[in-house]
Amino acid sequence: MAFQTILFHTQFREMAFNALKSIIELKAAGLKKVVLAHVIPREEVGFVPYGGTLKEDENRMREEGRIEFEDWIQTIDDPQLEFSQRIEVGATIAQIFDMVEQEKADLVVVGRKKRTVLEKVYVGTHILDLLRRSTVPVLMSKYMVQYEWQGESLTRTNVGIWKRPMLATDWSEPSRRALDATVALKGLVEKIIVTHVIGARQIKNLKPPAIKRLEDESEKRLLSYCRQVDDAGIQSEFHLVLGRTVEEIIKISRNHGATMIVMGRTGKDWLQEYWLGGVSHRVAELSELPVLLIP
Amino acid sequence: MVSASEPQHPPGSHLDGNPATAETSPAEHPTEEGHPATDQGGHHGHDDLGPVLPLWSCIPFACMLFSIALFPLLAPEFWHHHFGKVSAFWAAAMAGPFLFVYRGTALYEIIHIILADYVPFIILLWALYTVSGGILLKGSLRGTPVVNVLILTLGTLLASWMGTTGAAMLLIRPFLRANNYRKNRTFMVVFFIFLVANVGGSLTPLGDPPLFLGFLHGVSFFWTFKILPHMLTVAGLLLVIYFFLDLYYFKKETGRVPADEAAKTPLRLVGIHNFIFLAGIIGAVLMSGMVDWGQVNLLGVHRGIQDWVRDGLLVVMGLLSMATTAVEIREDNDFTWFPIIEVAYLFVGIFITMIPCLLILKAGANGQLAFLINAVKTPLHYFWVTGTLSGFLDNAPTYLTFFNTALGSHFPGMAEAQAVPLLMTDKALYLKAISAGAVFFGACSYIGNAPNFMVRSISEEAGTPMPSFFGYILKYTVVFLLPVFAVVSLIFF
Repeated sequence: MAFQTILFHTQFREMAFNALKSIIELKAAGLKKVVLAHVIPREEVGFVPYGGTLKEDENRMREEGRIEFEDWIQTIDDPQLEFSQRIEVGATIAQIFDMVEQEKADLVVVGRKKRTVLEKVYVGTHILDLLRRSTVPVLMSKYMVQYEWQGESLTRTNVGIWKRPMLATDWSEPSRRALDATVALKGLVEKIIVTHVIGARQIKNLKPPAIKRLEDESEKRLLSYCRQVDDAGIQSEFHLVLGRTVEEIIKISRNHGATMIVMGRTGKDWLQEYWLGGVSHRVAELSELPVLLIP
Repeated sequence: MVSASEPQHPPGSHLDGNPATAETSPAEHPTEEGHPATDQGGHHGHDDLGPVLPLWSCIPFACMLFSIALFPLLAPEFWHHHFGKVSAFWAAAMAGPFLFVYRGTALYEIIHIILADYVPFIILLWALYTVSGGILLKGSLRGTPVVNVLILTLGTLLASWMGTTGAAMLLIRPFLRANNYRKNRTFMVVFFIFLVANVGGSLTPLGDPPLFLGFLHGVSFFWTFKILPHMLTVAGLLLVIYFFLDLYYFKKETGRVPADEAAKTPLRLVGIHNFIFLAGIIGAVLMSGMVDWGQVNLLGVHRGIQDWVRDGLLVVMGLLSMATTAVEIREDNDFTWFPIIEVAYLFVGIFITMIPCLLILKAGANGQLAFLINAVKTPLHYFWVTGTLSGFLDNAPTYLTFFNTALGSHFPGMAEAQAVPLLMTDKALYLKAISAGAVFFGACSYIGNAPNFMVRSISEEAGTPMPSFFGYILKYTVVFLLPVFAVVSLIFF
């Protein structure tokens, strides 16, 4: 499950180019083509009340985007990678899906949204929609982020993101695919951290012997995951914890120096997806690390 | 003229009292088709400002309409980013002095127009826009003259039932796709604007915003079907002209559909369950015109319970459509909330600034616009004056302006609840002229009706060049529309 073609979507926010540079390290794991994509939201240039389209503005924005992309391509100057650029007008997520299909991309990379005082999450409604609906893996790159840890406000620059990915598994099929995708990063990865959280709710009504059985079963499964990693010639370590799933995943990633979190997209029912949010989406929202979600 | 600095009315008197006591009982004055004459504005136990308001109090309204007409032409970028502020500015320019001078009475008038006109108006537009945005026509036809005429006819027929905006949004993309191999496409989109985005909406209050405002003011739901002969004449003539025009260009271009176009995917309608919600909208509007469940007083404004229920049902229909329609359908429709937000922002300004104008017009010969009432006398005058202004100002407030002009002219001083049924029966020709003028002439320019600019935006985005503002008027309105309207005038007015 190597990523050969990535669609790198950007709104040209600060550090977007740095994020791209860290992403294209994927070349060592088989990356061949990078599609640089920018979507001009239709509302920016169209539906001028009673006035049609701001054609000149649209052309200007297209030109600015084109020049910016060309500058990036020239700066990277890597003859082994094929670059192309797409600048479209429309609804952002719909356009990204269209481009993924047309370009046959096998990974979408999107940036984080800026956190606000009121809303301390890295995922806006658009990206959340993308995470929910994408049929190809999505990587939320978070090049430079501010976050809180033990009462302190810290800034983190995510470089070398492929070195120590942490796979958080819930034993689902997407988790299994996430393992395959992580193993396919061989050549980039130093060590894969495999982890599973036994949710507090899951053991709420269980007696100690039942909890012990669950722990043993989970440990066996983690070991089987690690064996697959080891067989691929990559170092592994595993962690099994009990607690609140999202918080524990983030805590383990911090304690063990993970550089990225990889998860299978937790497929919940409609109501849970939209009103409560899946574990994978909450991790993407809250973790300061890049998050790779595999559908 | 009474000076604005000398208020004639005790501040706040109407709000503290009971406006309903002076109000006409709905049961006493049902309209010809049972539409109850609920609190539709006018003189409801509060002071009538119409005879005392100075003419210059209409300036913010004129400025608001001219802003809509001129900003998109002269400063489109500024307008695109600040139209809400412009609307708020003119609303404040009217409401500030109005409240300062007339205090409670002014407050009542503002609350009344918001609750009785603006809220139901926006809710209906939102519901129609949301529901119709959930219906998608997939696949494509081959754009031959016959197929194009059929699409235009279908759109014209649908417009009265799903709104001109809904019908235009449903069909414009399939229409453009069907003709993407044609070289001359501009005239097609212009005729689409004429027929689907305007003329087709003339048969029901759902079709075009002006007619819904008429409905809110007591014109019964099916009364507008009386414009059917006018509509058929205009649509028939335009479709015949279109057919020959299309045939001429089709033969001039290739005379046949290219082979690769023959492989186009067949048509398929998705999101069809939204037609149930559309039926729900029609049912809710019809219901509110047929039953009388009494009134409720909210902030001093008396509205029929059935009107609140209707508004609630419309919201429910919209929410159900949102909840049950796959997001991909709306994305394929390029559905966005922006157009409806824009209408909401602009119309709150329009409705507030138009208060003095409406009050003065209702006062008839006793008001400061007596000269207008005296000048606009015959149905022919109403058709052309309402129409001409509708072409360049938004047609909804223009309709309401001349609707009130007719009321003031024929039934001065009479409560709206009593006057409107008489206008629908004794002076029906006048109301037909106003209704037809407001709807038909909305097609005369990009700014005449909201869907016009949306169709223009979508067409330009899809690569169909559209004429400039004046190019549209000179090449199409003057050449095709005005002669057709002249024929309508000769036959009907």
